[in-house]
Amino acid sequence: MTYRIALEGCINCGWCRRACPTETIAFFLTRQRTHVIRPEGCIDCGICARVCPVDVISYDQEYRHDPIDLEAAKAHARAWARRQRQTAQQRKLRAEAAAAGVRARPADAGPSR
Amino acid sequence: MVTRSRLSEQLQQSMPQREPPYRPAMLLPAAERAALAEKLGDAANYEIGLLRDMVQADPANVEFRKAMVCGIASAEFAGVDAFSRKVAEWQDWNVPPELIMAMARQTWDEVRHAQLALGLLDSYGGKIDEYPDTLGGGGGQVRQMLELALGDNPQDPLISLETTNVSLEGEALALFQATSELGGRIGDALMQHVYDYNWADEVTHTAIGDYFVKELCAADPAQEGRALRAHAKFEQIRAQLSGEQKDEIRAFFAEEADRASTALG
Repeated sequence: MTYRIALEGCINCGWCRRACPTETIAFFLTRQRTHVIRPEGCIDCGICARVCPVDVISYDQEYRHDPIDLEAAKAHARAWARRQRQTAQQRKLRAEAAAAGVRARPADAGPSR
Repeated sequence: MVTRSRLSEQLQQSMPQREPPYRPAMLLPAAERAALAEKLGDAANYEIGLLRDMVQADPANVEFRKAMVCGIASAEFAGVDAFSRKVAEWQDWNVPPELIMAMARQTWDEVRHAQLALGLLDSYGGKIDEYPDTLGGGGGQVRQMLELALGDNPQDPLISLETTNVSLEGEALALFQATSELGGRIGDALMQHVYDYNWADEVTHTAIGDYFVKELCAADPAQEGRALRAHAKFEQIRAQLSGEQKDEIRAFFAEEADRASTALG
């Protein structure tokens, strides 16, 4: 199983490509300004379909993974998830430290009317 | 060779203006930097991604929200200036009239985004020049630098659409969604709504860019190659700035180098 992009509706925003944990969505290397999911690197996580703003990514039940490719893709995704967690944690700590360094000020007005 | 009309020639000479005037963060005098540091802990904290995290870390501090919204609004004002110039300048290029109208529509969208930012700031008791501009305004001050970096003409509609509409606005989708979700998490319904609205417009702007790039490239692989190279270069610059480097972009430029050396024998 994998996901596929319906090219005629794709606006090439690249969100799926940037969000893909296995970097298996090609754009530049297609040489045709089209986003294409290379199925051998897909782990069926569905992140691409969830972020697509124009809903052109759908599940393809026909594709059958080579188990070795799938394991390699999952290893890639695990490393990606570790990096994401580290980055998110660093960002959170930096923001908390920055926020804590500022004396809390009462709002002049409420946060939102 | 593009023959310039009188209006676009005048625009080349005119600097972007706004009332209150632009006040770029990079050019702040020491006293104003100190005032910024007083509000945000450090003047270097005036950075949109970090400010979003600071709002999450301390939702009660309304200064963080004001700073974040002012920072994003700088890009909206720059958009008003930049897209309105394209309405005039692109009449000198061989582009479909529908593309000129699309730029006019996009200008008006950016005006609405700026108005939404003003309203949101007002809800916090803030105003637009309370924090400096993260961008100095539109009008092409960065064009020369961009031209050197891209190795192509950023004023060319094909290159401009591919880098600004498709790449930059495509990437902004995630930023607007994250900011809207932040509003939802901290109970700021107006923030949630404003950035959801902006998000929807950005989808349209990306679609406009992609549609007209396809039109301008129709049956011309050389043009498509130019657009793709400019896009890859643009993303490479942005990735370097953010400390990331995507494998595909590296592979793309390695492939380009191979092609060049093959062509040269």
